[in-house]
Amino acid sequence: MSVTDLLWRFPSVQMAWRNLGRNKLRTVLAALGIIIGVVSICSLGMATAAIQQQATSQLGSIGNEVSITSGQDSDTDGVTDDQVDTMRNLVTDAEVVPQKTNSTSVSSRNGQEVRVSVTGVTNAAALYNLTSGEAPSRLLSGALLSNSTATTLGIEEGDPVEYDGQLYRVQGLIEEENAFGFGGGELVLPESALSEQNHYDTVTIVAADSSTATEIGGELDQYFNTEDEEQLSINTFGNAGQVGGFLETLSLALLAIGGISLVVASVAILNVMLMSTIERRGEIGVLRAVGIRRSEVLRMILTEAALMGTLGGLIGVLLSLAAGLVIFQMITGDPLGALQWSGAQYLVYGFGFAVVASILSGVYPAWKAANDRPVDALRG
Amino acid sequence: MSTSVIELDGVVKRYQSGEETIEALKGVDFTANRGEMVTVIGPSGSGKSTMLNMIGLLDTPSEGNVHLDGRDVTDFSEDELTEERRSGIGFVFQAFHLLPMLTATENVELPSMWDTSRDRRDRAVDLLQRVGLGDRLDHTPNQLSGGQQQRVAIARALINEPKILLADEPTGNLDQDTGRTILDELTRLKEEEGIAIVAVTHDEQLLEYTDRVVHLVDGVIQE
Repeated sequence: MSVTDLLWRFPSVQMAWRNLGRNKLRTVLAALGIIIGVVSICSLGMATAAIQQQATSQLGSIGNEVSITSGQDSDTDGVTDDQVDTMRNLVTDAEVVPQKTNSTSVSSRNGQEVRVSVTGVTNAAALYNLTSGEAPSRLLSGALLSNSTATTLGIEEGDPVEYDGQLYRVQGLIEEENAFGFGGGELVLPESALSEQNHYDTVTIVAADSSTATEIGGELDQYFNTEDEEQLSINTFGNAGQVGGFLETLSLALLAIGGISLVVASVAILNVMLMSTIERRGEIGVLRAVGIRRSEVLRMILTEAALMGTLGGLIGVLLSLAAGLVIFQMITGDPLGALQWSGAQYLVYGFGFAVVASILSGVYPAWKAANDRPVDALRG
Repeated sequence: MSTSVIELDGVVKRYQSGEETIEALKGVDFTANRGEMVTVIGPSGSGKSTMLNMIGLLDTPSEGNVHLDGRDVTDFSEDELTEERRSGIGFVFQAFHLLPMLTATENVELPSMWDTSRDRRDRAVDLLQRVGLGDRLDHTPNQLSGGQQQRVAIARALINEPKILLADEPTGNLDQDTGRTILDELTRLKEEEGIAIVAVTHDEQLLEYTDRVVHLVDGVIQE
């Protein structure tokens, strides 16, 4: 049973298939345009998906945090106890973690010094992960030190560090997150160590996820600030924030570039279909003379365009999948990320776009051929 | 009247050619009956092709009426005319006009290609056997001689069991012997199936086979 026998039940497909086979080179070149369009739209889409995935994982926990500092219209040089209490009353579903910050030098026994930032905080568990064990939720004595700083200075757990004339025993080493823009070591001390500072420099609110963080940020902003008076500066880093917005713009821009190539490809198909229907004008006249209906001619030519789009789309999707595996390997290090919906969706879009664009390109040539008067068409 | 298959009644056809209006047919009355072969002859430019287009419902007259099987089809829409051509009229062209990418059988099936009835293929094979091409079913047109191609075209014209068969210079591209076999085939169809055949030609040979000759000169029939 050959393909022809199977196609016999679908005359439009059979005729279209035969017609495409008549000028293979032309068909292949038109399909190649579609393939390139699909590959460009898919691989650009998947590249942005990979970048987005990588950025989200690099943003790490700060994606679901709200960071609050004293606003430009505030009378105080920090966030006050009253304000923190108000926040705690307003925000019931997230941890409110006030911090005082400073900086100091930590030295090793052999006199080597490293500049670190100092954070005075009680609920260290909400902000820090340790290399072993858990950070205390009430840090009342002792200290936490960045793992990298500890390694540089040869400091181990149990060793003392000095701040403001006081010694603090290192209780744990902080596992650094792979966040961008947060270089440098950090020394975490009980809040009492920075008691000479009256106000908090930063209040961090740790929410369950980035959208909750955005919501909380908005709520606090509405409560504390008016349009022309900023008491508190409230920042979120979630997807809805600047980073996410930027990535969305980037992804749209890249998809638009991919889309243009598909538009170019459909213009090529339009051209090919138009040429081939003009060439076959007499033949289509014969079809019409022997009683083939206008709708049947229309279907036949639309099917030709659709077949070309489907064929080009399928090959394009296969090539894009291969490209996607490489892209994800390069950007995130995990090629299988390409198979997740966030990346794989572009294969579906690319294929759909290819078929739709091809059929649309076929509409005018098909309409033109179907409505040619048979007596004129027969004359050639 | 009952035997008349196609009837032109005072048909006038005008074309607009630039500023000029050309009158290709100037009031033509014409009838073809069942089982009759009529040949239209005339110099080129006499309006033969225009007349054949009228009979074949490929074109509509500027004035006058066209009757098919006793029904007035003059004011039919293009879609209605297509249905009439599909069910009632077979075409044989000088240049055969077979589709090069289809086999002989598929070419014969072509007019009924979009009716997915089961016996379509059987009927196509049967017709090809009757025109002596039972051993050429899967050949494409370029694998067939001119005479064979014209016989495929005749089989194609018969697939929908037409009442009238129109032949535009059916032997024009064939040598004399091959032309004769084609004319024998048409004669057989006329006699056995009672089909009306209207042929347009320059070919003297065709006149031996014809029942009636109509002379067309300058868009007017001269008896």
